[in-house]
Amino acid sequence: MGLTRRQFLKWAGVTGVGAVVFNGCRVPDHEIQVQSPVELPEDLVTGRDNYYATVAQVGAGSEGLLVRVMEGRAKKVEGNPDYPLNTGKHHIRAEAMLQATYHPDRIKSPMVRIAKGGPFRAIGWPDALDRLTKILADADPASVLIATAPVRGKLADVIKRFAKDYGAPSLGFDPIDQTILRTAIKKIYNQDALPDFDIARADFIMSFGADFLGTWIDPTHFMRGYGEFRQGEGRERGHLVQVDSRYSVTAAAADDWIYVHPGAEGLLALAIAHVIIKEGLGDANAARALTGGDINRLSRYQPSNVATEIGMSPTAITDLAHRFAGAHGRALAIGGGSAGAHTNGVFNLTAIYALNYLVGSVNVPGGVVFNPADHQSQITGAPVRDWKAALDAMRSGGTKVLLVRDANLVHGLSAQLKVTEALDNLDTIVSFSSFLDDTTARADLILPGHTPFEEWGSDTPDVGPGYRTVAFQQPVINRFRDTMAFGDVLIRAAAELGNAMPWGSMRDAVRAEARELHRTNRGSVTQPTFEEFWKRSLERGGWWDQGDTVSGTPIPPTLPRTPERAQIVGNPNSFPLHLVPFEGHGIGVGQYAHLPWAQSVPDPLTTVVWSTWVELNPKTAEHLKVKQDDVVTLESALGGFISVPVYVNPATPPAVAAVPIGQGHEQFTTYAAGRGSNVLDIVAQTEDTDTGSLAWAGTRVRLTKTNVRVGLPKLEGIEEARQLPGEPVIEVFKLGEGDRGHS
Amino acid sequence: MNNNTLIKVMVPVVGLSVALVVAVVGYFVLQSWWSSPPAVLGFGDGPTQPIAFPHTTHVTEAGIDCQFCHRKVSTDEAATVPAVAQCLFCHDFGKIDGTRSDSDTAAVELAKLFDEGGNPQPVNWIRVHRVPDHVQFVHAPHIQNGVSCTTCHGDVANMEVVEQVRNLKMRDCVDCHRDNNAPTDCTTCHY
Repeated sequence: MGLTRRQFLKWAGVTGVGAVVFNGCRVPDHEIQVQSPVELPEDLVTGRDNYYATVAQVGAGSEGLLVRVMEGRAKKVEGNPDYPLNTGKHHIRAEAMLQATYHPDRIKSPMVRIAKGGPFRAIGWPDALDRLTKILADADPASVLIATAPVRGKLADVIKRFAKDYGAPSLGFDPIDQTILRTAIKKIYNQDALPDFDIARADFIMSFGADFLGTWIDPTHFMRGYGEFRQGEGRERGHLVQVDSRYSVTAAAADDWIYVHPGAEGLLALAIAHVIIKEGLGDANAARALTGGDINRLSRYQPSNVATEIGMSPTAITDLAHRFAGAHGRALAIGGGSAGAHTNGVFNLTAIYALNYLVGSVNVPGGVVFNPADHQSQITGAPVRDWKAALDAMRSGGTKVLLVRDANLVHGLSAQLKVTEALDNLDTIVSFSSFLDDTTARADLILPGHTPFEEWGSDTPDVGPGYRTVAFQQPVINRFRDTMAFGDVLIRAAAELGNAMPWGSMRDAVRAEARELHRTNRGSVTQPTFEEFWKRSLERGGWWDQGDTVSGTPIPPTLPRTPERAQIVGNPNSFPLHLVPFEGHGIGVGQYAHLPWAQSVPDPLTTVVWSTWVELNPKTAEHLKVKQDDVVTLESALGGFISVPVYVNPATPPAVAAVPIGQGHEQFTTYAAGRGSNVLDIVAQTEDTDTGSLAWAGTRVRLTKTNVRVGLPKLEGIEEARQLPGEPVIEVFKLGEGDRGHS
Repeated sequence: MNNNTLIKVMVPVVGLSVALVVAVVGYFVLQSWWSSPPAVLGFGDGPTQPIAFPHTTHVTEAGIDCQFCHRKVSTDEAATVPAVAQCLFCHDFGKIDGTRSDSDTAAVELAKLFDEGGNPQPVNWIRVHRVPDHVQFVHAPHIQNGVSCTTCHGDVANMEVVEQVRNLKMRDCVDCHRDNNAPTDCTTCHY
């Protein structure tokens, strides 16, 4: 049977149509394939966050933090509710630390300067470490100075050990160091660690110059206590009196703000003590000890004798003494800040803290509560006297090499000390800072360190919560830039120099510390094995032992019979205004000036951001014929001057010119460089007679108007303020009868 | 045997044969239509994948949880297959390169993850389990309600080559939903 042409075409057509039709029934290729792409695509991102506990030194405070981390990036900082000091809250500076890690101007890798004054060149870590080792091996250890910001915990141990084994001196740097306070505490309470101020359980607080709700030591911790003090459940509202030469945040929060002449805080405290002792209002044993049994020992401080010097009426002083001694519940006296920043700083603070003996508030709940100092490790800010000697050694050639980590000497020490000249005389400056600050900009070699969220460490807080506390700092993210932890660099360098430390890394060092805590088998974390203890204490952010406290009350020392007066630099006729520098709310004394979030924190009273300004009373401004936003020059008796705009504030005492510290950097990233003025440059370099610390509140200035005006960046005035109809106007403050301080 | 006799014998034989073939083909077609193809002639076997990935080695021997690779199974619609980068969590840096395996082919299979230049390459797996387009199957609620992976996918942990063990037809789904008091509204799956 033959196949006809017609039949062939028919079959071919049917087959073709069938093939097309049935092919349509196939499952498309893309539906039976599923691809594993090379990289993790978005649809595999879990979007789940993790929180890691760590700790950070925030100013002088210690804050336990929980950092939210997503996909390896730190996103948000929260307070650690478990940590005994900040109990879930945190400071804006802690929040802003995120910006340090991801800062666009952060030093991205080790760098070396090709020639003195020349540009930097990026190098690798092996090369950088070799160079460091060579510098240290070639130098005479006695000619090497290690300068760091105040450091606590294991890093302080590592630095001290490195300095000791290598043979180099080490100095801590803080522009407004706490040596005067520490010395006073040692003198009056015989304590090596700063005590806790139990604000939460106090009923009447009299604070002298300590802006503890603003910037003093650990404001987050103190604010937690203050919340309880004012609005705690089951207690009466506490009463706060702030004695201050500036209207600070604490003064604004206080029930009474009392202006006293700068440097006269100690006189006021002793006048109060005199009234209490004379009238038999206080603890008789304490009164006997403080006066050495001579009831007339403090007669020179009789209110009528010292009232003019203090700037209060005798009646007001006596009244304050009665209120303090007769307070319902526990009374507490706190002193610090500008009250101690005078040539008679230790005298002032000793007198203030002696008041607590008279009302039985020493080492008891609601009073000052001692902290155990046995296990505390820290490098504190050295007095300016030591720094002057260090600069002399640089000039004379005694010091040839400077190792510096976050100690911005060029900004934090006054220009009068000619710091740059001293630094220029050095052979080599090696910086371990994470940013090109004013001092690091002069370095020859930079080995950039980690930021706090990238490194291992620990913290032994000072002020502590009244019992032994060790917080653990763990890296919550991997290092973001090609940096290395300062502690790790020192540990490696020590090994290269033949002084190997017992730990191979900072992590090992922290684990060794944790091992000791584990062996005590007590405290907030106890676990059968060390690894379980380590994990649990890292989860909680540390370890603390409420049973490890200091007991007993020391015998009070006798108070000075004769007053020690503050020496204020500048003739009152030529320099009529008293300069009161104060720490910036966000940027501190300048160490946070590179962080935009810290810069944009409005000053709580003036709402000014990103600037330096001078606060003047309206009457003073009127007298000097200056208005808000006028730029004026402030000049001290030493010849230096700064230019700043005026902020007219009715709460500023007429005799005071208050200026924030922290701005005026020449370097230190785009956000800080060339912004504002550095008030420290016009502060007289006088020292407290006992400690050699800078008497930074003891300068007089004069003010000259310029023809320049600038608009101060501030939140105030952006929105029109309107009085609610029918509501009475409530005055913010009112002078007491007889007070004439700032009338 | 004359022609008539031959015809008388052959017609029933051919007829029965044709009927048998039609019955077998019909059974095959209907079984495939209503359920799964009968597991003969390789019809029940899983497809040959571009890389012979042994679940036995990873799940049974290495003890890796299903969700380590199928990361979104408890949170999303699709269980998802892992990215090659995830394979390299373990198989990169010379840590597990197959050379220590008992299998002769492990190193060869792992090498398929990379091109000649050593760069990881995407893998186009052949889908084993599939429901029609008009069915919306969401993994997450099943896992969240305690349905084990093995309920639908069988003992994958012991499969050298993954194959489909349940027919995953509508009746299968509905029966299981009824047994477990899960919703059986049409819109549960068809929306």
